[in-house]
Amino acid sequence: MGGAVSYASSSSSSSSHDDKRGTETEDWYNLPCPTKYEDITREAIMSLKPELFEGLRFDFTKPLNQKFSLSHSIFMGSVPHPTQSNIKVPVSHYEFGANLMDPLGKTQMVMLIGRILTDGRMSARIKYDVNDRFSFKINAQITNEPHFSLGMFHFDYRGNDYWAQLQMGNNAFYGVNYMQSVTNNLALGGEGYWLGHHRKSGIGFAARYNTEKVVATAQFKSGGTIGMTYVHKVSDKVSLASDFVYNWKTKEVVTSLGYDYLLQQCRLRGRLDTNGCIAAYLEERLNVGVNFLLSAEIDHWKKDYKFGFGMTVGQ
Amino acid sequence: MAAVDRSGEKGGGWGKGLADSSLYQKARRAASNSARFSQKLMWSTGKAAWIAGTTFLVLVVPLIIEMDREQQMVDLESQQAGLLGSSAPLPSK
Repeated sequence: MGGAVSYASSSSSSSSHDDKRGTETEDWYNLPCPTKYEDITREAIMSLKPELFEGLRFDFTKPLNQKFSLSHSIFMGSVPHPTQSNIKVPVSHYEFGANLMDPLGKTQMVMLIGRILTDGRMSARIKYDVNDRFSFKINAQITNEPHFSLGMFHFDYRGNDYWAQLQMGNNAFYGVNYMQSVTNNLALGGEGYWLGHHRKSGIGFAARYNTEKVVATAQFKSGGTIGMTYVHKVSDKVSLASDFVYNWKTKEVVTSLGYDYLLQQCRLRGRLDTNGCIAAYLEERLNVGVNFLLSAEIDHWKKDYKFGFGMTVGQ
Repeated sequence: MAAVDRSGEKGGGWGKGLADSSLYQKARRAASNSARFSQKLMWSTGKAAWIAGTTFLVLVVPLIIEMDREQQMVDLESQQAGLLGSSAPLPSK
């Protein structure tokens, strides 16, 4: 991997060499651990892609224990049709869930999440840290319709300054990715996957530049997309994010700009798109543990307007 | 000749001939073009105003309301801190 090669070549510089650009020395033997390959765009996704919905949403989480909680959730509204994107399908369901979160030690954590819906879908997620270095995740989803169920295993290994992950899923999906910290702020990584049933394979490369105020990532996937994100933390309440995706196979380009205000009583995220789409998502804290949600998405080009409101009770 | 007559009767110019009628035609075309253009301009200004207005309403108005509430909370807290007389740290902006 390119990241490993540059790490090996730069380890020849002595660790007491002062970095002329900054005040801290680059200690090539003690680089920080980067984020995982699948998490590099985490800040941009959190700011730019809130869970917009149309209709009514009500979530109630009841903790039975310090570690165990049950959740009840009702949704009544429209969702986009799975195959034809300009038709909305009305949906209403009740979802029951159980969550177990147990920090076994200081760094280990086990998390079990199960959900079952009234339209026959069941999903389960397990996250388990075996020890300091090795952890695994399992996702499974079972549906009524045939060929829509899926299961995925992820095995992660954490080194001093790298993460390696192996993925195995149904439909004979195998994937491997690797993320290496190259300097204190820069991490590079790559991935490769193979889809057995469709005989498709792909590779990808990614880079993430991370300082206290700025997170910039770039991603290249052989499926045909180049993506770049940039998140700037203006203060501890405000952060601005932007995202650029270019698909050279379908010749589509989309840029989106967004803001994320994290205030005492609310969290407000807004986004503006070059597809002529604007979206806003507000979570307002009415009381301790009671949140009021408002979601709005307006597509001026396709004349598609989606507004939703909801309430979340419990943590 | 018949063509001259037919075009002449609309403009009312006897004996002025072809030049006058073509000028009148040009003027009519220019007037209808400008009417269509100004109608399109009004229409697209209206559409732009609608898009700008709804975008402002969805993106900016909640932000203004929330920032105002935040400012009120900060003022209330600083007032309470001053009232208590203790050296409570002011909330950072």
